[in-house]
Amino acid sequence: MKVRINGEDLDFSSLVSIAEFIIQRKIRPETVVVEHNGVILDRDKWESTMLKENDALEVLSFFGGG
Amino acid sequence: MDDTLIISGHKIDNRFFLGTGKFASYKLMQEAIISSGARVVTVALRRVDTQSAHDNILKYIPKECIIMANTSGARNADEAIRIARIARAAGCGDWIKIEVIPDNKYLLPDNAQTIRATEVLAKEGFIIMPYINPDLADARRLSDAGAASIMPLGAPIGTNKGICTRELIKILIQEISLPIIVDAGIGRPSHAAEAMELGASAVLVNTAVATAEDPVLIARAFSLAVKAGRMAYHAGVVLPKDQAEASSPLTGFLR
Repeated sequence: MKVRINGEDLDFSSLVSIAEFIIQRKIRPETVVVEHNGVILDRDKWESTMLKENDALEVLSFFGGG
Repeated sequence: MDDTLIISGHKIDNRFFLGTGKFASYKLMQEAIISSGARVVTVALRRVDTQSAHDNILKYIPKECIIMANTSGARNADEAIRIARIARAAGCGDWIKIEVIPDNKYLLPDNAQTIRATEVLAKEGFIIMPYINPDLADARRLSDAGAASIMPLGAPIGTNKGICTRELIKILIQEISLPIIVDAGIGRPSHAAEAMELGASAVLVNTAVATAEDPVLIARAFSLAVKAGRMAYHAGVVLPKDQAEASSPLTGFLR
């Protein structure tokens, strides 16, 4: 299953929820915001939302900027 | 005299705003914020590197600061609107610096797209600080659209050239009732003081602090220069003259 995450195509061999993906990648959930197919996804929906073929996921956070 | 800056009902007791980009570390950035006493700091929203651990910048920003996300990376109004909404969802609050930059060489903003983004986001309750080329008609449009301040550039981002747009900024200060905050191009504390002497309400500096040899010390120097410039503005800066005018009496001694 191919999913586009932060502009890069990643292959997943099994079904995975957004919450599981975040944990697998050792991302601290409280530090990021997730946009799923162009829609901002509330944190309480991460567990119930499964990644599907051709989904687009943006995992974003704050960095230094002027 | 109470000279507190008020933006959308928020009292801000330091007119020096600091950007957080380009610092060698978040710790150094934190020390620069503290040494300057800045109360408004900007941050940017970016993709997380999902392959490696990332540090959370927000935990280094003192609690008393207002965190203002910028829309850097946006090339048009729609992208700026999208970034603003994501920033708010990420818990950054309602303050947003709208910057729409389609040009990579000079990083000059697109005023028309900035106005369009402001019109949309103002209706959603954002406190909007638009970064623009100093233009009176556009500043009026932004004011009508619900901007909380106007942020004209002094010179292109990161050039350290100072207030090259001085005459245009003076016009905005004269004609626009919103706070005018000079953003970009300020390279040294004397430039910041100059903006404040003209009557700017605040300045935003990033590169000149973050890339200085001692960012912590220069952050404080900027903050002091902003205070001095503000004081001079209130005191009434005298105008230059073409002819000399003696400071000491010239008559009644030895002749």
